[in-house]
Amino acid sequence: MQNSEPKFGGMDRRTFLKVLAASGVTATAGAAFMLPGTNLMVMPNSKGYLVVDMAKCMGCVSCMMACSMVHHGESSLSLSRIQIQQDAFQKFPDDIHMAVCHQCEDAPCVNACPVEADHVDIVHGNIRTIDPDRCIGCTQCIDACPWLPKRLQFNPKTRKVQKCDLCANTPYLDEKGGPGGTQTCVKVCPVGAISYVEKMPKQHDPYAYNVNLRDKSWVEVGHTDKDFKLNEGKV
Amino acid sequence: MSDITNRGYAGKILHLKLSTLEYEVIPTEKYVEWGGGNGMGTALYWDFCEDKTIQDGRDEKNVVVIATSPLCGTATPSAGGRCEIVGTACGLYPESFFSRSNIGGRLSSMMKYAGWDAIVISGKAPKPVWVEIQNSLVRYHSAEALWGKDAHETQLRLFGILDRKNEGWGWQPLPGKGAGDSGYTTQIPAIAAISQAGERLQTMAGILHDAGNISGQGGFGAVWGSKNLKAISVLGTGAVKAADPAALIRARFKVKERYAPDVQKPDLLAWSFLSYPKPIAFAGDYDQSRRSACVGCVMGCRQRFSTGVGNQVKCQASAWYLAYIKKYAKKHPEEIDLNNEKQIVEISNYAADLCNRYALNTYLFQHALPWLEGLWHRGLLGKGKQVPSELDFDKLGSKAFVKEFCEAFAFRKDIGALFGDGFVHGVIKLGLEEDYKNGTLDFPYWGIQEHGYDPRAEVEWGYASILTDRDVNSHEFNQLYWNISIYTLMGLKPRISAEKLVHLIAEKLKPYVDGPECMDFSEENIYSDAVLNLTRWYIHYNRFWKNSALFCDLRWANLFHSRGDDAGNEGATGDPEVGEQVYWNAVTGENISIVDGLKRGYRVIVLQNAIWALQGRHRDKVHFADFIYEKPFEKGEFPFYMWTVRDKEGKWRYGDIMHRKLDREKFEDFKTRYYLAEGLDPKTGWPTEETLKKLKLDFAIDELKEHGKLPESNAS
Repeated sequence: MQNSEPKFGGMDRRTFLKVLAASGVTATAGAAFMLPGTNLMVMPNSKGYLVVDMAKCMGCVSCMMACSMVHHGESSLSLSRIQIQQDAFQKFPDDIHMAVCHQCEDAPCVNACPVEADHVDIVHGNIRTIDPDRCIGCTQCIDACPWLPKRLQFNPKTRKVQKCDLCANTPYLDEKGGPGGTQTCVKVCPVGAISYVEKMPKQHDPYAYNVNLRDKSWVEVGHTDKDFKLNEGKV
Repeated sequence: MSDITNRGYAGKILHLKLSTLEYEVIPTEKYVEWGGGNGMGTALYWDFCEDKTIQDGRDEKNVVVIATSPLCGTATPSAGGRCEIVGTACGLYPESFFSRSNIGGRLSSMMKYAGWDAIVISGKAPKPVWVEIQNSLVRYHSAEALWGKDAHETQLRLFGILDRKNEGWGWQPLPGKGAGDSGYTTQIPAIAAISQAGERLQTMAGILHDAGNISGQGGFGAVWGSKNLKAISVLGTGAVKAADPAALIRARFKVKERYAPDVQKPDLLAWSFLSYPKPIAFAGDYDQSRRSACVGCVMGCRQRFSTGVGNQVKCQASAWYLAYIKKYAKKHPEEIDLNNEKQIVEISNYAADLCNRYALNTYLFQHALPWLEGLWHRGLLGKGKQVPSELDFDKLGSKAFVKEFCEAFAFRKDIGALFGDGFVHGVIKLGLEEDYKNGTLDFPYWGIQEHGYDPRAEVEWGYASILTDRDVNSHEFNQLYWNISIYTLMGLKPRISAEKLVHLIAEKLKPYVDGPECMDFSEENIYSDAVLNLTRWYIHYNRFWKNSALFCDLRWANLFHSRGDDAGNEGATGDPEVGEQVYWNAVTGENISIVDGLKRGYRVIVLQNAIWALQGRHRDKVHFADFIYEKPFEKGEFPFYMWTVRDKEGKWRYGDIMHRKLDREKFEDFKTRYYLAEGLDPKTGWPTEETLKKLKLDFAIDELKEHGKLPESNAS
C-alpha cells in the first residue's frame, strides 16, 4: 500500500510551510505543534540524516550490533535501529538491503503517536525520537511508517517502541552523539557504507537515502562505482 | 537469569539426542572455564562422548559439538561470526581422531541470539531429520524430502519452509507476536547443511552455511550424514550482553582507526592480514561484486557476484581449479579466452561454487587433482586402468570436467568412490602407497593435504599440524612469508627491516620466548628450543584466542603492522587498547592478559592429548610422511620461500628457506623436548598424571588409567 504525500488544505507540505512562514507562523525553530483548528502536525526538519550505499555494504552487521550495544548495552539485531538484511544466495547488488530511519520531514510516526511519545526532540537537532516513559507500546507509529522493513522496532521485553535517534541517547557510548556528534553506525562501518549528512534528502524520491558512497579507491580494490537504483522498500 | 548471561554467554547449551529425537538443555555455567569454541567443545565432547576410543567419526557413538564464544554476536573485530565444530573426524590416516573445524558467516551469532552457547549432537536419528531452532523452540522435522539435495538447495528450501508468513523482507514476529520470550527480526535463519556427499559418508564432505562458509577439514559433513542429520536452522531474536559495552565500542573504534584497512586510502601492500584492503581472491578482480564479510569483521575477505555464482568464495577455494582453466584455455582459445579475466573468474567461481554446493573440501583437491592428473599421464588412471575412471582428463580445465569431477566425489562414484573413506586409505588400496611416501602425492601429515606452506620450510605450521590433529591452518606467522615473498617478487624493499621485524614479533611472544632467536628459520635453528617455544606459543594461541575465543584466523593474531608509515609497526595482538584481551574482558568482565589466554589454550591442548591417547595416538605415530625427511622442498607458490633468518655473523635478513628437508632424528628430538615442555610423557606423548593434576584436569585421570594410557610423571 502506497502512502500518498500528506496534503495541507490542498497544498503540499513545502508550499504549506512557506505560507505559514509568510504569515509569521513557523515551526523551523521550535518543537512540533498541531495547527490550531486542524489535525495537522507541523514539525521542524531534523538537522541530520543517515544515508547508505547498499552496493558498498559488506553485510558484517557491525553497525547493527554496535547500534544495539551503545543504546542498550547488549548486542542484538532485533534491537538495532538500522537494519541490514541479506541473503548470500542472491546476486549482487540485490543480496543486501539497508534500512535507516529517514528522519522524515513530515514524520508519519510522529503524526501517528496518540500520546506524543514519538516526538521531535529540539534539544537534539530535531530528531524524531520516542520517549520511552511516554510510549504505551500501541505500535501505531510502526504501522504508520511507510517503509519496509519498518524503521521502528518493538521491544518485546519493555513493550515499547524505539527508533533511530542518531545516537542522541546512547548511555554506552563514550562520545557525544546526535546531530553534530558521533553516529555509531557511521563510525563503526569498516567500508564507509553509511554516511551522516545535514542536508535533507529529497523526501519523495524513493532512492534519495540510498546514495553512491564509492569512489576511485573502491574501484582500486576491485569493485564497481556504478550507480544502482536499489529499491528502498516503500510499502 | 544466571550471571554469565550478563557477560557474553547465552547461558544454555542444547543437547540434541538424535537416537530418540529428544533434546535437553544444559546450563553453560560448568563450561565457562573453557571460554568457548574449541575449549568448550572439547570439554563437552569429553563429558558426552561415552566411548572416546572411536577412530572414525562416522561411528554412531561419536559426538559433535558446535560451539560459540562470548564474543560471537558482538562487534568484536573479526570475532563476532566464527563458529567451532569439534568431534571425532573421519578420513585421516592412519586413523581418525578428535579434531576440529571452523566456520564463518552468521551461524554462531544467530545461535547466541537464539540463546544457545553450543549445540551437542549425539546418537543417530532413525530417519533423516533437520532441526529447527527459533529462540527456545527446538523441533525435529523429517528431512526425507531434503535428502538428495545439495547444500545450497537444502538451505533455499528451508528458507521457504521457515518463512511461514511469507513476509519476505519485513519484520517477522518470532515465534508468536509478542508472546513469551519472542521478539521480532528482519533476518533470515542461519542454516548449516550437508550435501549428497555427506549423506554418502564421503570423508571429504563438509558442512555448509549460507553460500560459501564451509567447515572443510575433518569430514564433519560425513559425520552428520552418518547421524542422519541433514541440517540445523537457527533464528534468534535475543541479545548478547557485555560486561562493559562502552569499552567494547571504544576498542572497536580504535582498531578501525589504527589497524583495519582504510578503504579511502587502500594500501595494497599492507603487510598484516588485519590491514589488507581487498577480498582474498586469487582468480582475479570481478568488478560487479561486493565485498562480503562474516558477522563483525573489520575487512571482509569474501565477495558476492552479479552472477550469484561463487558467492562467498575466498582464498584457496577461489582458485583451486584456476591453473587448469588457464592451461585448458591455451589449448582451447575458442572455448576460453585467456585474456578475458572476467571469463576466467567466472569459470573459477563456477568450480568453487560446485564445491560449496556439494560442501566438498577444496583443499584436498588442491593437491589430489595434480596427483590424479599425473596418474592419467602415467597411464595409471582411466578406463580399465589401475585407477579405474571414466573421467576424461584431456578435458581438465573445462567447465564440463569440473562438474563431472565434483559429482564423482559428491555422489561417491568413479574416483570419488575409490577415495571415499579417506584419500590416503584409497591410495594404499590402489597399490600406490609409494606415491604417498615419496611426495608425488603432497600429503605430509595425517593423510591430508599440504596447505601451501610446506613443513620443510615453514616449520611452525608443519610442527603444529603434526603435533595436533590436522593441517593447523593458522596464519599468525605465515603472513610474513606472503609479504616478503611478494615484495621479493616485485623487487620492492620491505617496509620493515628483518632486524626490526624479529624484535617486534619476539616482543609479542613473551614470556614463551626471550628474544628474536625464535624467528631464525635457518636450517641450523629450526630444531632449537627457541623455535620450539614459538611453536608452543602458536599452538596455545591457536587453541584459545583463535579457536576458543574465536578470533578469525585471517585477521588475528596481528603480530606486526605496516601501513607504510612509521606508526611503530607494533601489531594489535596483546595491545593494551585493542588487543584480543581487551575485547574479551569488555564482554566477559574478566581481567585476563593475553598470556592468561595462552595458558587456557595450553589446558585445552592437554585435554585433547588425553582424548588422542584414548584413541590410540602414540608418539610413534606422530611423524610426517617419509618425503618430508627424504626429499628437499623444491616447488611452492613462488620460486623461493622468504622468511627471517640470521646469518653466521648474527645479522638478520630475509632469506630463502626452500630447498631443504627435515631431519628425522632431529625432529624426533624436537618432539621429545616438546612433550617435556608441555608436560606430556616423552615416551608416548600422553599427558601425565602430574600435568593433569596441575591443570585441574583430574577428571580425565580415571578414564586414562582404565585404558592404560596414563604415564605417572613428567620425568618418565
